[in-house]
Amino acid sequence: MRKLIPIVIIAIIAIIVFSSGKSETQKILRIYNWADYVSDDVIKKFETEYHCQVVIDTFDSNEAMLAKLKAGATGYDIVVPTEYTVNVMIDDGMLIKLDPAKIPNLKNIDTDYAKLMRDGKMEYSVPYMVSVTGIGYNPEKVPDFTPSWSIFLNESYKGRMTLLNDMRETLGAALKSLNFSINTTNDAELEEAKNLVICYKKNIAKFDVDEAKRGLVTGEFFVVHGYNGDLQQIIEEAPNIKFAIPEEGTSMAIDCMVIPVGAKNVDLAHAFINFIHEPENCAATMEEVCYASPNTEAVKLLPEEFRQNEAVFPKKELIAKCELIEDLGDDNAKYTKAWDQIKSAE
Amino acid sequence: MKRSSLPLLTTIAVLVFFYFPLVLVTIESFNASKYGGPWTGFSLRWYKTLFTDAEVFRALKNTLIVGVVSTLVSMVLGTVAAFALHRFKGKLQAAHYGLIYLPLVVPDILMGISLLLFFVALKVELSLVTISIAHISFCISYVTMVVLGRLQDFDFSVMDAAQDLGADRLTAFRKILLPLLAPGILAGGLLAFTLSIDDFVITFFVSGPGSTTLPVYIYSMMKHGSPPVINALSVVLLAVTFVLVLYSQFLNHGGKENA
Amino acid sequence: MPTMIPRRRREEWLLTLPTFFWLTLFFIIPTVIVLAIAFKPAAPHGGFGEGWTLRTLMELGNPNYPAIVFRTLWISAVATALCILIALPVGYCLARASRKWRQFLMLLVVIPFWTNFLIRIFAWKQVLHPEGILKKTLVALHLVAPDATLLYNAGAVMLVMVYTYLPFAILPIYAAAEKFDFSLLEAAQDLGSSRLGAFYRIFIPGIRRGLLTATLMVLIPALGAYVIPDIVGGPTSEMIGNKIAQRTFVDRNLPHASALTGLLLVTVLVVTGGLYVLVRMRKIPRALGRSLAATGTGNLTTTAENTAPVTPESIADLVAEEEKNKEENAEEDAT
Repeated sequence: MRKLIPIVIIAIIAIIVFSSGKSETQKILRIYNWADYVSDDVIKKFETEYHCQVVIDTFDSNEAMLAKLKAGATGYDIVVPTEYTVNVMIDDGMLIKLDPAKIPNLKNIDTDYAKLMRDGKMEYSVPYMVSVTGIGYNPEKVPDFTPSWSIFLNESYKGRMTLLNDMRETLGAALKSLNFSINTTNDAELEEAKNLVICYKKNIAKFDVDEAKRGLVTGEFFVVHGYNGDLQQIIEEAPNIKFAIPEEGTSMAIDCMVIPVGAKNVDLAHAFINFIHEPENCAATMEEVCYASPNTEAVKLLPEEFRQNEAVFPKKELIAKCELIEDLGDDNAKYTKAWDQIKSAE
Repeated sequence: MKRSSLPLLTTIAVLVFFYFPLVLVTIESFNASKYGGPWTGFSLRWYKTLFTDAEVFRALKNTLIVGVVSTLVSMVLGTVAAFALHRFKGKLQAAHYGLIYLPLVVPDILMGISLLLFFVALKVELSLVTISIAHISFCISYVTMVVLGRLQDFDFSVMDAAQDLGADRLTAFRKILLPLLAPGILAGGLLAFTLSIDDFVITFFVSGPGSTTLPVYIYSMMKHGSPPVINALSVVLLAVTFVLVLYSQFLNHGGKENA
Repeated sequence: MPTMIPRRRREEWLLTLPTFFWLTLFFIIPTVIVLAIAFKPAAPHGGFGEGWTLRTLMELGNPNYPAIVFRTLWISAVATALCILIALPVGYCLARASRKWRQFLMLLVVIPFWTNFLIRIFAWKQVLHPEGILKKTLVALHLVAPDATLLYNAGAVMLVMVYTYLPFAILPIYAAAEKFDFSLLEAAQDLGSSRLGAFYRIFIPGIRRGLLTATLMVLIPALGAYVIPDIVGGPTSEMIGNKIAQRTFVDRNLPHASALTGLLLVTVLVVTGGLYVLVRMRKIPRALGRSLAATGTGNLTTTAENTAPVTPESIADLVAEEEKNKEENAEEDAT
């Protein structure tokens, strides 16, 4: 009897291991992406058309993604960093040069957006989606809401608000509300912003990226700092939630698809980038993730109502107040230091 | 003499404390609400989502592969080490013991980060192999301690007797020592297996693309996934644990009655 | 037989080398590498630069770090103290229960310990949810204010630590209590000691080893905790483990991560060493054992065995004892 259990356990393990081992002969496309940032249907369609399996791992900040890649996470075929991190990766020789012949759909990309990027010729990166950060809130619990970052100073919502766990975004919000540039390297300005975030910190429950937005629905949080599309996805499920872009302005980000050095299926990765920018696939993705893609042909296919949604396509005058986050090279250390002091402040 | 009822009351309170969250998770796993929170009706959809999630099965498969490999390797290494520690005394064994003892008192996170930096320095790609190496490294110590405990109760004169009766060392080892020690080695292996399939921190540091294990996947679900699916997974894992423990109890009792 | 010595020697090396090699390669060398990286300069985009520097170590003196170390120490200390306080009566109760009950209760204590660690933490997130049943009950009983938050603070971190580590405290205390001769307690009471006094002066010293093991079993993982403060902690309950993870996974500052790891290692070693010294210095239990023996009411062997001075060998025994506990659980499953 004593010997029976190990035998039973080994048998069960063997059955599981061998029964799920069939699909391994297929090619696998490994994507490293933000959470909730693809359309499952589009991915399934790609899997059937290209007879492959798509495996997605997720990250919650550019810094975390970069650290993981630097720490030896090789083997991803596609990564989706924000533009400022793309530049870091180009400079560090972490990216493979794209072959434009394999991505004919590059013609659909809006050149106005491409112009904003340092890699405007799209030699290494192809824009995927454009996002802005803003505030998601529950109007029943926050009746006096005004679209301003100053909500985080309001003590009546103490312990029910969250800020992004992302140093550039959160310091950026404070910089914006002080009317400074999001990319400042001025020590005094950064110091002021740091002190402001420390004041915010007294009222928030957590620095968080992905869990907080769900807390809006369950009533755990009332005010959540987040990305427009992420919060819009929540609003589709829970229409009582609202989204606003603070009038002081905010950060705007262009997230791009890139192929890192060490990719195992370079051709398949090119095919994936091209497939995503096929107008109908791109439109389907936009509708599901609620972000705007700089793909002009795809935007034309979107229903009128969706195109009018200001959370997804913010008004021109608000866009004018937004800034793209830039890589600051050695001055990044100033932000890291300020962020540290914020994290350890009581 | 009258005994205090405080210990009993504390024990009951502790058991309530232990099981209350688990019961709540079980109830919540049937809540139809997508993000958890207020009860919106009974539903089995989260179990359906769970069982159709290919990622869960892939992660389970990785967990079991790592678990089996690291259990087998650490069982062999740990048993050999326990023999050395038991049979020989001296400076070498003192150092050997220290080496085996250290991983037990060092926090997980230290082992995780040091192995990560080690693999990065050697430019080793993070994969199931690196996870298995890490798991073997912490399982060895546990297996050794368990087997050593067994050896201390073991009467080595049996071995000598066998050799006196003409058996060569290898035969004596194979026919006498190994069968007598088997329960100890198995217990060590089972402990190693449990530790391996439950480990999150060390695995998190040394796992790479495509080598997600179940605990790592649960962690990412906690960050990005929907809570009821995690609840459903929790209930399934709880049920497996209960069945295994109860079954072993049942066997245990059965065995005793036969004996 | 002169040929026996080299053969014995060869055999010893043969049996020792596999683990020696493995643990040196995958435990000692990586640990040395980590400690060495602390003396390397940080490269701006991750990794580390050329040459050697003491800058990182000096930066550990900046006020942010001592604050985190202090917080880590007190959160771990409180969690450990709570675990021991709760585990004492439970261990006592288990040891005094009848055989049948003991087996059943042990099973109930052990099952949560066999459940996945992350799942236990996640369960608490739901229990402490601001719209959850616990909060509502507490508000209804006027025990907390309606806008109080139970999650994301140091209290939540301690609570969940107690929940996850309590079995580690109960098992060694129970193992020690099981060997304890309870007639000593009755004898002390006969001699006029109060019930609590006897518990404190005889039972506690009698299970001293179990207590020490329990303390270490809780304190060490608590000091290195990373997941619990990450999930139920808030902006003001960050611990060393979180900082190490942030330095490794977000800031890409490996020298800082290494220096912090070194700091954690030193903290663990100092605390562990300190505890041993503390236990060794306490002569009271031995004196008490002797006096009881003198009055002829106590069972000297049990008392003496349980109050032996702490030596490296007895430390080894502690671990072996703990492993035996685990082994017993493991066996329950295996047989």
